[in-house]
Amino acid sequence: MNIKIKRFLKNPYNVAVNTFKVRGIQFIITISFTLITVLAMLFVGIVIYNKFSVSLEDNATLSTKQLVNQVNSNIEYYLKSTKEVSNLLDKNIYLNPHIPNSKLKDQMNVIQNIRGDIASLAVFSDSGELIIESSASVLKDKVNIIDQDWFKSALKKSDNLKFSLPHVQNLFNGKHDWVVSLSRVIYFYKGNERVRGVLLVDMNYSTIGQLCQNLSIGKRGYIYIVDSDNNIIYHPEQQLINIGLKSENREDYLGSYLENSDEGKRLVTIKTVNYTNWKVVAVAYMSEILDFKKTSTNFIGWILFVCIILIIFIFGFISAKISHPIKQLEESMKMVEEGDFDIYIDVKGEDEVERLSTAFNLMISKVRYLMAQIVIEQEAKKNSELNALQAQINPHFLYNTLDSIVWMAENEKNDGVITMVTALAKLFRISISRGKNIITVREEMEHAKNYLIIQKIRYKNKFKFEIIMQKEVLEYKTLKLILQPLIENSIYHGIEYMVDEGFIKISASITNGKLLYEICDNGLGIDPEKLKHLLEYRGKDNTGSGVGVKNVHERIQLSYGTEFGLEIQSEIEEGTTIKIWLPLTKE
Amino acid sequence: MIKKNILIIFLFFILLISPFLFGIVKLSTKGEEEPKKISIILKTQSGDYWKNVRMGAEVAAKEFNVKVDFTASSGETDIDGQIALVKAAIERKADALILAPNDYNRLVSVTEQAISNEIPVLVIDSKLNTNKIISYITTDNVKAGEIAGKKLVSLCDVYTRIAIINYVEGSSNNREREKGLLSVISKYPQLNVVYMDYVAPDAKSASVLTKKLVLGDDKVNTIIALNYISSIGVAQAIDEIGLAGKVNIITFDNTPEEIEFLESGVIQATVTQSPFGMGYLAVKYAVLKLQNKKVPKYVDTGAVVIDGANMYKPGNQKILFPFTQ
Repeated sequence: MNIKIKRFLKNPYNVAVNTFKVRGIQFIITISFTLITVLAMLFVGIVIYNKFSVSLEDNATLSTKQLVNQVNSNIEYYLKSTKEVSNLLDKNIYLNPHIPNSKLKDQMNVIQNIRGDIASLAVFSDSGELIIESSASVLKDKVNIIDQDWFKSALKKSDNLKFSLPHVQNLFNGKHDWVVSLSRVIYFYKGNERVRGVLLVDMNYSTIGQLCQNLSIGKRGYIYIVDSDNNIIYHPEQQLINIGLKSENREDYLGSYLENSDEGKRLVTIKTVNYTNWKVVAVAYMSEILDFKKTSTNFIGWILFVCIILIIFIFGFISAKISHPIKQLEESMKMVEEGDFDIYIDVKGEDEVERLSTAFNLMISKVRYLMAQIVIEQEAKKNSELNALQAQINPHFLYNTLDSIVWMAENEKNDGVITMVTALAKLFRISISRGKNIITVREEMEHAKNYLIIQKIRYKNKFKFEIIMQKEVLEYKTLKLILQPLIENSIYHGIEYMVDEGFIKISASITNGKLLYEICDNGLGIDPEKLKHLLEYRGKDNTGSGVGVKNVHERIQLSYGTEFGLEIQSEIEEGTTIKIWLPLTKE
Repeated sequence: MIKKNILIIFLFFILLISPFLFGIVKLSTKGEEEPKKISIILKTQSGDYWKNVRMGAEVAAKEFNVKVDFTASSGETDIDGQIALVKAAIERKADALILAPNDYNRLVSVTEQAISNEIPVLVIDSKLNTNKIISYITTDNVKAGEIAGKKLVSLCDVYTRIAIINYVEGSSNNREREKGLLSVISKYPQLNVVYMDYVAPDAKSASVLTKKLVLGDDKVNTIIALNYISSIGVAQAIDEIGLAGKVNIITFDNTPEEIEFLESGVIQATVTQSPFGMGYLAVKYAVLKLQNKKVPKYVDTGAVVIDGANMYKPGNQKILFPFTQ
């Protein structure tokens, strides 16, 4: 652990590369899973964010519009109620046109007492003479009524109620309020004369200001009112506008639009107030909306970042958990690759990995078994070949044969000597056959024939033999020295102790697509008990009779497989037949 | 064993970073700063002029999201009191300081002390004898004096005997007004300035002085008062002795009292400044300075002369009467 940490401190890059082996399972799982998850998260995040920001802007526009509508209807309601005050007084003067009278005066006082936003109420004649006013107001000495804007405009447009521009009302002592005047023409009786006059209702800004300021549009947004000529009626920063430190420019447009100002993008919404030429204008700062958008962008960004880091770690952890046992397996396999089969893996992991390791263990044990088998078989093959070699130069056979030749020579049986020596020479040539293990069937049969010739002379014609060969079979290849040990066996154990003359028949043929040798004799036969064990795989015990037979059988099976080999039928006192099955091959 | 270790390390890691994560989340959602604190030191608590300065400053404070606090010396001659207020602002570690100095020279050292404490200082109303001020937001008082002088000339005839009543000697704006005024008057040698002096900073002394000047041997028939407090004293005196319209009065500023006198014809003309604009611009430029933006060194908030005849013209209404709801 400590070493690892030290290494990490020394060379973080290498350690990182080693830990996350590029192209390793762990790396691939971590990277691909992380990529997929991150892409999915980004996709979802961006989609949600877009949806969110669009609806945010829509909402802002909508709520600004709703706000403007609300302010609008409030102001409309307010102006209507002020108009109603004017209408009420107008109606009363119409019904009771001899003014001033106390009833009208009382009514004016009541109205002004309940309506704190009404600064003054008064009636003037068309010559500018004050007829009646609410008692709260005392007219100044030197006032020129006729030149006042509200007075002139009321007389000019006799049919209409008229809201003036904001101005300072300077009619009354001690008052310099900013008001909006509502003036109209009325008719009353001055003595017996019906004259024209002007009814004045002044509203101060207490209610209008409240209506516009109670509703806030974000932190910096605001609402103001203009008339049709874009004169400011009300503005929350009216004083700044009055002294020229601020101004409002807007397009002549009803509805909502975006504009660029020094303070950034603004959403301006304009709506007309019914029954007047006023317009309510709401200004909302997009940056406040976007501010919220920005913080939420940051927020989403950070969450994504944190999630990505967490995901990398989680997937790193998961992939390590998956790949760790696989790596263990891999290491064990490497050991096998290097030739160490004596291992047992004890890997515990997921189901698949556990099964894999069990299978691996099973495989390794089988390989181990097979390798042991091969070693044993190789040993057996070597032994049997050695035996065959021993058989082909059996010294006793050679001594006996040479004895027989000597004996024949002494008795001047020249023909016999020639036959014997010729046969012996042939026998050995084929036996040796330049060290080859495989010879043709013809040569094998020749070898058997020469052997029989020699033995027949040695046993003084105690037996006869017959050799039958199919022509087709002659050029096929065969293991050499198969027949000779079996013939030897037949002579020594079958015919030698016979009373009658013996007979041996050798044949070679193609049967059932295989090469078949047959050796038949009419000798003593083999004891059934012995016959049973004759071809059984033997251990170290290779003495006694039947050694040659077993040796031949083993050689054939080691060379060609277990479907080939010997087949022995024998009956006591009747004879023995040995069938030798070999594959048909020309190589 | 190894697996267990990994798990433990992993959990430990999550534990380790989780407070960090929460911190990030909090940071990314909060992100709002404390509003800056701007200390404003005025010349005096009372008076409509300073009330308008405060209103302007408050409007700007709301608009630019800063906190403003107002302090004022007990009167326009209370220089030591103002020095103490500047020191207090330094101690409070105000982010910026706006000062209406009572004295041209004596407030310099304490102001420079504030500047060396990295508090930007903006000056309103009257100048200060240092070049370390970020911005002067004042009426161009020389120009205001000239305006008053021109108005005076238009009201004068050969029999004019002029008294110039000044106010608080140490304050630069009064001297500058006098300078502007004299620069105009000096072009007309026939104009006869019989009296020119500083008067104590209250209406009463101005009133007493006026009566003495008008009824005494000086036979003054035209008075210029260079400050609103003495202006009120002068107008009250003329109103009391019933010489309204016979003695021409030119005043400074637009307090309600002066407006009443203007309307009733006691005061012939008044030179108005823009205290609201002064307060507003001072805070605005202080904020811009705190945002490291460029701020003009001298700002003229303007002066307009208004007489009884044109005071209700729409444009002049807006200057004379502060908008109230």
